[in-house]
Amino acid sequence: MKSIRKFDAVPKLNGSWKFLDDYSYQGMIFGQLLYSTCHHGIIKDIKFPAGFDLQEFTFVSAKDIPGENIVPEPECDQPFMAEKEVFHYGQVIMGITHSNLRILREFIKKTGVEFEELPAVTDIKECLDNEKNAFGKELTIDHRNGQKVDPTWIYHHKIYYTPHQEQAYLETQGMIAIWKPAEKMMFVRGTAQCPFFVKSGVESIMGKAAEKVEFETSEGIGGAFGGKEDFPSLLAGITALLSYKSGKPVKTVLDRSDDIKITTKRHPSRIEIKSWTDPKSKKIRKIDIDYRLDAGGYQTLSPVVLSRGVLHAIGGYDIPDSFIRGRLMRSNTPSNGAFRGFGAPQAFAAIEAHVENIAADLKIDPLEFRLVNLLRKDAEFPTTQLISEDHLYDCLQRVIEKSDYQKKVKEFKKWNETHKDKKGIGLAIGYHGGGYTGNGEKVLNSEIKVIIRQDAMVEIYVSSTDMGQGAHTTLAQMFFETIDHPREKCRVQLPNTSKTPNSGPTVASRTIYIIGNLLHDLALEIKAELGFENLEEYVASHQTEFPQEFRRNFIPDPSVQFDEETYQGTGYKDYSWAACVTEIYYHADTYKVELTKNWSVLDIGKLANPKIAVGQAEGGIVQGLGYGLCEFFYKPGFGRMHGFTDYTLPTSIDIPEMDIEFIHTDSEIAKGLGEIPMDFPAPSVRNAVLFALGIQINEYPMTPERIFKSLTADER
Amino acid sequence: MIEIKFKVNQVDYKLEVDDSSRLLDILREELGLTGTKEGCGIGECGACTVILNGDAVNSCLILAAQVDGAEIETVENLEKNETLSRLQQAFVENGAIQCGFCTPGMLMSAKALLTKNPHPTSAEIKDALEGNLCRCTGYVPIINSVLAVAK
Repeated sequence: MKSIRKFDAVPKLNGSWKFLDDYSYQGMIFGQLLYSTCHHGIIKDIKFPAGFDLQEFTFVSAKDIPGENIVPEPECDQPFMAEKEVFHYGQVIMGITHSNLRILREFIKKTGVEFEELPAVTDIKECLDNEKNAFGKELTIDHRNGQKVDPTWIYHHKIYYTPHQEQAYLETQGMIAIWKPAEKMMFVRGTAQCPFFVKSGVESIMGKAAEKVEFETSEGIGGAFGGKEDFPSLLAGITALLSYKSGKPVKTVLDRSDDIKITTKRHPSRIEIKSWTDPKSKKIRKIDIDYRLDAGGYQTLSPVVLSRGVLHAIGGYDIPDSFIRGRLMRSNTPSNGAFRGFGAPQAFAAIEAHVENIAADLKIDPLEFRLVNLLRKDAEFPTTQLISEDHLYDCLQRVIEKSDYQKKVKEFKKWNETHKDKKGIGLAIGYHGGGYTGNGEKVLNSEIKVIIRQDAMVEIYVSSTDMGQGAHTTLAQMFFETIDHPREKCRVQLPNTSKTPNSGPTVASRTIYIIGNLLHDLALEIKAELGFENLEEYVASHQTEFPQEFRRNFIPDPSVQFDEETYQGTGYKDYSWAACVTEIYYHADTYKVELTKNWSVLDIGKLANPKIAVGQAEGGIVQGLGYGLCEFFYKPGFGRMHGFTDYTLPTSIDIPEMDIEFIHTDSEIAKGLGEIPMDFPAPSVRNAVLFALGIQINEYPMTPERIFKSLTADER
Repeated sequence: MIEIKFKVNQVDYKLEVDDSSRLLDILREELGLTGTKEGCGIGECGACTVILNGDAVNSCLILAAQVDGAEIETVENLEKNETLSRLQQAFVENGAIQCGFCTPGMLMSAKALLTKNPHPTSAEIKDALEGNLCRCTGYVPIINSVLAVAK
């Protein structure tokens, strides 16, 4: 597979690629949201400001909904707009339009909503520490073997906390809706990852008022990372309703401040781990993990995040006796949602810190401790799924070798003896199951479509979106390289729910792994069916047969069986594996951790497009390093962040030198890539801090403030 | 309303602008130059970066009324006769484009740097791009692109 150039590179470089806010329609007006500034309460009154002509505005609230006031989600518990009671800050109360966006924003800013306040849980620890806040279905993976705890085993009991993480896609959320009354048809265009989710959201709110709903993405989707998985359904629904009521095309683009305040984030977690380690063999014999996520005001898709979280909770370790319990906790904050990694980064942040803590307490080299306990080929996950490859071990060995880890450990220890500043080096490992969990892909039953035109142009119709990850380049490539067709004669079409079959959402590292491999198979199938060597020549000599359409559905592997109740069976058919080493320089005067170098080794199987794969890894690792180092969204006593001023993302000066390598690329199959780079970097930063300073910080991220507090805790 | 005369991408314009309009608004809404993006509206993300009299600026922080008599360059000016500039070409070769939303701003910050300092070091490049957020690439290929042109 080659590093072919992205098909959208040139238009993105010359400014002609259209993102949602670059679209304009005749007669289009603007929409915005009026949302709750109360964490929990009853809406008593809404006071519009004087000095505005209310006739110029269109208003929609829950009572205007012709369909259902429920956003379709794995758990359908969130309304599009609050009825009487608001359950969290940022809950939408009304959609409002005006022809002038500045007037509209000023009007909403001056609108006062009066609430009767009710008790609210807004602090992360207050939410996660109190078991009474649990809601929804509890998940357990029981892999206990009844073994008694030996009195010589060393017991470790620690609680790890991870913060929210903001997706921070550079293009904010936005939707345009156009109601066509003659056809009773609602057309929606937007920046979203999952076209069919948006369509069903609009169908839900419109009910029988709309006979047809069509969703098409904007040409450009300015980043998503999970943040445009479910919130777009809510925004599209309300924007559609505004268009229906006003009779005009309506564009709703959130400004950054609203986007950060009211949209979904990565779930904060509290992960409590109890473990028993045999000091003689250095083996962890038994583990008990209590994995909790702060879901926010509603469950929405959190049960699925919880599921992936518990399935990755044990990390890359072979522990014979394990029990994992997962729970969602309710708080009066905006519902948290999807973000690259989907429950796994929290799991690895905890387990990778825990093994490092045990190694430190038992004075065992953390590499040696990992190697003794590593999940090797033929071991099994707590789900009883057997591990079929030794690639986690290979990733770890390779990263140790290329980073010269053992030599650096010695050098840094020596250097640290004589310096006030400190050098640190930290290890972490991770893995990520590709595609939907368990039987999910079978249920999704993804379908893809290809039309071959008379000029041998191949049009690919899939609902996978290109949000920057290069999916449309790589997907096309997986088709045309398979049959040696020219790249300029193969193009993925802009996802449109009326023209594109439902090949599922663009999530769960499934785009290349599921849809790409399906396209590869379909290409081979077409070649065999038509019997050509060269498609262009075949089409030229068989003109009457074209255009011709081909379809294919996902064919599930019958060996993949998963019990949704007991959580036993095959969680994921294929796993991607990774290991990394991060080097830091600690500035003693400012308590600041500077990232100096990161080596990451990943196994994602065959590389569909090496350059795009490296780009995905680099971007994901920097997000992961940010998660470990500087990103947090809530601070006790301060509250939630408001924008890019107080939510600190890594910038060009914060990134380390990076060295990324993919191994086992001669594999037959391209496995999941999107999420795994996010899973492992954060704990490597944390473990490097432990190396440098000798302090076990069990709460992320490693901000100067947190380090200062940990270092001075004894003095105080 | 205030009347302003200014030059954008070598073209002269005379406009009546609202006193609260930002440079970003008139570029996108009046001149149709939508290559310049709004990412935050408060000068934190750099997606709206344009070159104003030789300096890279956040066009969301400049009032339209302030650009009377100024010369402005936007991303639309980089490609000539369907040929990418060396900097744009380097972005392609280094895989520096993912979602593309930060790309116009990155290009303009990098161009302003290279005009003033044709051979910047890696540290100088990181400094010059510090005000441009990118969430997709992790910055590495973007920095490498500018370095490739600087050599």
